[in-house]
Amino acid sequence: MRHIVVALALALALASPALAHLTPPVVLVNDRDAVVSLLPGARRFFVREVRLSEKEKAAIRQASGWTPEEDFYRFYVGRDDQERMVGSLVFIGEATIHGSVRVATAFGPDGKVRGASVVELTEETYPWVKPLIDGQFTQDWVGHDSQSRFALSDRLARARSNSMTQFYGEVVANLVRRAALLYEYGIRPSGAAMLLR
Amino acid sequence: MLGIRLSRLPVSAKIFCTLYLLGIGCGAIAAMAQAATAVGLTPADVQASFAREMPMTSLGPSGHGQHQSAEKEISIGDISSAAKVWIRTPLLIQTSHTHLFGQTLIAGLLGLIFLFSSLGERLKSVILALPFVGTLIDIGGMWLTRFVWSPLSCLVIAGGSLFALGYTLITLIALYELWLQKERSA
Repeated sequence: MRHIVVALALALALASPALAHLTPPVVLVNDRDAVVSLLPGARRFFVREVRLSEKEKAAIRQASGWTPEEDFYRFYVGRDDQERMVGSLVFIGEATIHGSVRVATAFGPDGKVRGASVVELTEETYPWVKPLIDGQFTQDWVGHDSQSRFALSDRLARARSNSMTQFYGEVVANLVRRAALLYEYGIRPSGAAMLLR
Repeated sequence: MLGIRLSRLPVSAKIFCTLYLLGIGCGAIAAMAQAATAVGLTPADVQASFAREMPMTSLGPSGHGQHQSAEKEISIGDISSAAKVWIRTPLLIQTSHTHLFGQTLIAGLLGLIFLFSSLGERLKSVILALPFVGTLIDIGGMWLTRFVWSPLSCLVIAGGSLFALGYTLITLIALYELWLQKERSA
């Protein structure tokens, strides 16, 4: 009996790394499809890559508590046949303890959120986020900008009763807000961001 | 080793070793399928997922602390349509710690079984080391791809292949000795 207990304890100890293993990623939408679906009406596509200044990074940190750490950020810009801007889109991700979450956020020419999609999460986080995706939760942020409050609306109260759904909904909301801040300081040609340059 | 040979193990131990080896084999196939779909199995695929993103435009070098931007027209076909995983440094840290523990434990148990093979010490040592060395090259290659030189992504493929080669050799030799090898009379 003692040997069995020792063997079971050893097996549990050996299995513990498996418990900490991240579940495989789930890619819901590839980058191209996200750009096409979130920038309807665009006929020509451009990449605009932006490297933020130290002042801009400090301003974003002060506004949100988040510091942009990438060397540069890539926006996909859609224009119509007359080269008028239809909108722009940026992908932002975050590595959480249960794996990566990546979101595509599109903006209109006025800098307001035009749409957002969760493009990647993990097998473990997907069931938590799925009720929110089914409830089209990002639609509540259409028309928001970097100054807006990005929160899960009351209509999602039932889904939010799961604490992990609430948590990951807030993760996505933060990512969309970060995208709005990046737009504000990286793309927007006028406004408060220009004063800092 | 210690006078114990795989061919002389009791049936219960032979069944344990066989099922363990087969189970790890199934896991390895599933892991390879997962790697193929999430990242890809060529150095270019690994590079695309692990290497630092390079500008597509004429954006200048960093380090001035100034705002920079550059724009370039692309075709929609230039945007990736592959369902590739987004791997950044925090995920690399998580992946490294779980895989280093997990693969080293697998290599350790494979090696433990293989210690009782009747092969000569030199050959046994080389084969036994393959999964350990493969793991270190595999995970080390991910870090080198990201932070040193992106073409080192070939190390990730080489490390994974070395692990698979070690597993295959250990399993084939061990299964042969467990079930087919006849004991020589002294």
